[in-house]
Amino acid sequence: MLLLSAPFDPGALTPARRPARAYAQVVGAVALLVAAGLGWEWAGTFPALGHALASGAVHGGLLALGWLLATDAASGWSGPVLRLGAMQILVSIIARLQPLGALAFLVVPGALLLEGRRQSRLRAIGLGGARPAHALTGLAAGALLGAHLLVTASRTFGYRPQTGDLPGYLAALAYDVGANALSAEWLFRGAMFSLLWRRWAFWPAALLTTALALLRYLLDPALPHAAEARAGAVFYLSLLGLIGCALRAGSGSLLPGYLAALAFFAAYRMFAP
Amino acid sequence: MIALPAALLVAVALAVAFADQGPASVLRHLYLAPTLWAALARGAIGGGVVGALAGLLHAPVVLPAVERDGLTSQTLDGLLSLGLPIVAGLIVGRLVDGSRARAARLAAVLAIQRRLDGPEALEDKLVGVARELRTALRARRLALLVGADVRTAHLVSVPVGTLVDADSAAAFALASGQRVSSAELAADPRVRTNEPVGPTPLRALALPLVSGAGVVGVMAVEWTGELSRATRAAAEALALHMGLAVANMHLTLRQHHFAEELAEKVTAATTRLRELDQAKTEFLSVVSHELRTPLTALQGFSELLLRSALPADRAQRCLVYLHTEACTLGRIVGELLDLSRIEAGRPLELRPEAVDLAELIERNLEIFAAEHRAHHFHWTSSGAEVALRADPDALDRMVKNLLSNAVKYSPRGGQVCVSACPAVDQPGMIELAVEDDGVGIPADQLPRIFDKYVRVPHPETAATRGLGLGLSLVKALAEAHGGRVEVDSLPGKGSRFRLLLPGANLDF
Repeated sequence: MLLLSAPFDPGALTPARRPARAYAQVVGAVALLVAAGLGWEWAGTFPALGHALASGAVHGGLLALGWLLATDAASGWSGPVLRLGAMQILVSIIARLQPLGALAFLVVPGALLLEGRRQSRLRAIGLGGARPAHALTGLAAGALLGAHLLVTASRTFGYRPQTGDLPGYLAALAYDVGANALSAEWLFRGAMFSLLWRRWAFWPAALLTTALALLRYLLDPALPHAAEARAGAVFYLSLLGLIGCALRAGSGSLLPGYLAALAFFAAYRMFAP
Repeated sequence: MIALPAALLVAVALAVAFADQGPASVLRHLYLAPTLWAALARGAIGGGVVGALAGLLHAPVVLPAVERDGLTSQTLDGLLSLGLPIVAGLIVGRLVDGSRARAARLAAVLAIQRRLDGPEALEDKLVGVARELRTALRARRLALLVGADVRTAHLVSVPVGTLVDADSAAAFALASGQRVSSAELAADPRVRTNEPVGPTPLRALALPLVSGAGVVGVMAVEWTGELSRATRAAAEALALHMGLAVANMHLTLRQHHFAEELAEKVTAATTRLRELDQAKTEFLSVVSHELRTPLTALQGFSELLLRSALPADRAQRCLVYLHTEACTLGRIVGELLDLSRIEAGRPLELRPEAVDLAELIERNLEIFAAEHRAHHFHWTSSGAEVALRADPDALDRMVKNLLSNAVKYSPRGGQVCVSACPAVDQPGMIELAVEDDGVGIPADQLPRIFDKYVRVPHPETAATRGLGLGLSLVKALAEAHGGRVEVDSLPGKGSRFRLLLPGANLDF
């Protein structure tokens, strides 16, 4: 029991602030890569690859920010961050080159786990297994939200689930597995929520984390611009974010929230073009 | 359980869907039933989750109507009914949580009080209390440090096996009376630990237990995960109660000790009073007999002298007997007078003068040897001058009492050794020792033998007569002379009385 056994110094100062330089380097690199990708896309020569570069850079940047937050930018951060970022860009480009190339996204979670095993601090953000009951709860919560989305959107706005383009659907799912849901869980429910929850109570930490995650999705150019789609994104992604935080807090693992996000996006992708 | 309210919720949703009465269907109010059920059963979390599910299930009915008809009174009513269950579930659940927390706190306080009032040892009581507190606060670990000093305080922890560091947070709270709170103990810069930060925060509180007497202990609690305000408030309230309870427990323990001591003293005093009463009764019986014996002789011989014309030699013998018995009577009366003086706290009247101790001892030994022919008396003089300045009568009585005692408590044929010399270990004092090989005195009786009326019971000396005053008089007379009397004895081996009196060159 640390209250009794660990030496205590009431006047000890809080540790030095996180090195802003590392964050600046990551943000700067991501900005450059996104600009290069968008420029490439704008130039019109293989625009899909330019888009893939920008998209991979954004998701790699989200993973990198999560890494820096989780490890307090401890020395040796650049290696894993560069490898993960490069992998995100690479699989993003591969996904654009081949219809089934998106399956390359499936290697990203494994690579992240391998990198994470070498850094003991990442245990603190929930990079570990979960009990089956928690994992099932996550799946059920995501499935419920997804089912609700399907029913509400189809009854209210006349959206119809598309079942014809299976390769496209699978590619979108793979993108969620290796980029979309993964980076969101890693950064928002993993690094950010863990950091904030360690200082605050659950609700302030969960609300701020969910708000930031929502902002990330609202800024995503892939989100449909229709008003009902944006309203639906606010509603469902808020609920999904709060559920993810609750699952992270209750299980001590990112896995249930990740499964909830995958289940929800599995339903959402049925509407995707 | 939340499964049954959830099932009822689905049933209500199906009923609303089949009734198909639009967003303002009267059946929508039925969503409140499973929501409130869940709130009553599982508190705010249950009520909130089921309320949110109710809103979600009702949304496919309301939203298409909003899309189709716009914002009418009916669709507005439907929209409000989306949020109503969750609000109701949260409010009712929060009230339920609050009342449960208060009930749990009250139950914990009662359980703690019962534990502390119980008959167990202090350590067991504190372990029981720590368990109650840990359960009430749903803590991962809880420890109680009871005492004002960390080095001597009682420590109980649940689970057991915690050691206390003198520089720990709990020790700081104990020494300073300040609470220590940490939102994540493993990452707290004030705590020096190598324990890795886990995925769930380790919240901690070290609360000083304060009573009117100051800080009487510390309650250290660690939680994993969320620490609600209600739980924190409960911990603070319980710590406050614990402070008072510990102070009460200390008072109760002190009271018990005091009562036990008092009972022991009363018992001892009662026993002593009974012994004194018994001794006085015996004393009266003995003294009556002791007085009666010489009086009877005095009466008998005087009547004989008055009524009969005795021949001169027989009359002479009668007069000798009369004189002897009168002397015995005088000695008894003298002892009784001395006793009454001692009991009244008046000083004994002494007329000090130079006394030749050797001559006094030899004279007494002759008398005793004549009276007790079965005993063997040995007299050893150091050869050095053993002159005293003392009251001759008092000194004579002391010697007679010691010799009488030695004779009484030694068997026929026993040895009585008397010696007198300057005390080696007490410069300026003269030592007179009387040693016998009698029954001896048990060690537990030694402190009492100089008390009045005390006669050490022994089967071999049960028939021995005496007032139980001799040794107490010796002690009083020795102290009146500025000396003292000591005894060494072994049961079955004999006793040695050592009378120490100031020499002739010392005044008393």
